[in-house]
Amino acid sequence: MEIDHLFRHQAGRIVARLSRTLGPPHVSLAEDAVQEAMLRAVQTWPYQGMPDNPAGWLFRVAHNLAIDAVRRDKTFGDKAEALAAELTRSAVTMPRDEIDVEEQLRDDELRMIFMCCHPELSREASVALSLKTIGAFSVGEIARAFLADEATIAQRIVRAKRQIRESQLTLQMPAANELDARLDAVLDVIYFMFNEGYSAHSGVDLIRHDLCLEALRLGRLVVSASIAKPRVHALVALMALQAARFPARVDAAGDLVLLEDQDRSSWDERLIAIGFHHFDRSISGEEVSEYHVQAAIAATHARATDAQSVDWPLILTLYDQLLSINPSPVVALNRAVAVSKTHGAAEALTAIESIERDPKLRHYHLLLAVRGHLLLQIGRADEAAGDFQAALSCACSEPERRFLARKLEACR
Amino acid sequence: MSQFMLLLYHDPKGFQKLSPEQMQQALEKYMAWTKKPFMVDSKRLAEDAGKVIRPQGGKPRATDGPYSESKEILGGYYTIEAKDYDEAVKRTLDHPHLEFGGTIEVRQLYTS
Repeated sequence: MEIDHLFRHQAGRIVARLSRTLGPPHVSLAEDAVQEAMLRAVQTWPYQGMPDNPAGWLFRVAHNLAIDAVRRDKTFGDKAEALAAELTRSAVTMPRDEIDVEEQLRDDELRMIFMCCHPELSREASVALSLKTIGAFSVGEIARAFLADEATIAQRIVRAKRQIRESQLTLQMPAANELDARLDAVLDVIYFMFNEGYSAHSGVDLIRHDLCLEALRLGRLVVSASIAKPRVHALVALMALQAARFPARVDAAGDLVLLEDQDRSSWDERLIAIGFHHFDRSISGEEVSEYHVQAAIAATHARATDAQSVDWPLILTLYDQLLSINPSPVVALNRAVAVSKTHGAAEALTAIESIERDPKLRHYHLLLAVRGHLLLQIGRADEAAGDFQAALSCACSEPERRFLARKLEACR
Repeated sequence: MSQFMLLLYHDPKGFQKLSPEQMQQALEKYMAWTKKPFMVDSKRLAEDAGKVIRPQGGKPRATDGPYSESKEILGGYYTIEAKDYDEAVKRTLDHPHLEFGGTIEVRQLYTS
């Protein structure tokens, strides 16, 4: 099939379209109809050939299955026929590369995103629900991406759906006075989804790349809507610029490659172009969000032609700015790396002294790894070895473990 | 060159647990197989039990069926070309249907 992820993306939009007609309490019915439509495609197309408009085929069959389900389901009572008629009308607006139809379908998905990311739901619930209904990830895929077991994820989704019913959440776009807060909730979920996929915790399972790409897709969906603010552009820029490094993050042996050692020619140029496109738009207003600063850091890395020409003083300034918006130890740790590049390892060691005292970070392997790296640079190999040793005893992924073991070896 | 019919049986619940992404991957494998040069024809059977007609007391009677004992149902068929059974089987061994738990019955078409 020519189109990447056709099923996954169509599933999300058909569920959104059906749910808009059926109402939020019936998201599961919509999901079942879509799943069944795809099942029929797998069992029919290999004999009959691909339909001319595969997306339209799935759309139509899912609608027909939903109509059957509505008629079978007694709980709809005398509303069943009206709903069936409405679904029949809805089935006519099938995807066929017409701009107004595309816009309608995007609007359905956007409403679904805002409902799934409603502040009444927890962030974990929102992420799981968004991935399931809009991203069309299976429970198994979500569980794998989050290193959780399937029952936990399944239950999280069931609870989220129940809460949608009980709190009577709707697929209406938020009113103007609450739009800012609702938009922030959506961005928070998308950014969380991206970071979960981007962190190296579970090694290089491809499903985690999919998680990042889905976050990027959702971000681009929100950014294309009229309600998009500069910070949405900033978030999309940040995600695109970071995702562009995927091909270079792991070497042929499956080992992690640090940013400074990455082969920049293998960075994804298309994603970099998308990133800069949105970065330029993000700086159009007065607004400076955390996403803006993060995007500026990613853009500075992307602008450098090689590791030696990275503008570290600029990055350090940006980290100073980021730290004033979000004074977290993880930001402080990243800032220390910029300090070492600008003023040397000794000064960077001073910079991380304050976070070393944070009890939450005592067993944070990245803090230990960074400190070990700095100590090694100024010739304090014994202490560095101690840090790498300690980092190895923390919870970390297999590629990280191999990386730390190599560093430990270098101390000897 | 002789012609062989490949009868594809599957468990109707087989694909249900796959995610949309996995279903697309499965579909792509199936579609790729249909592009093989020895492919002659293919048809999908409708998803119902069908009818069976038997004589009963000298009179043909139709019943729903065949309702075989196994949970697998005949989903469709391909006709392929091969010089003998050995080659027909060899050509079918890499069919993705087998990867997804299905069964394939290979039958040679009669030629006089």
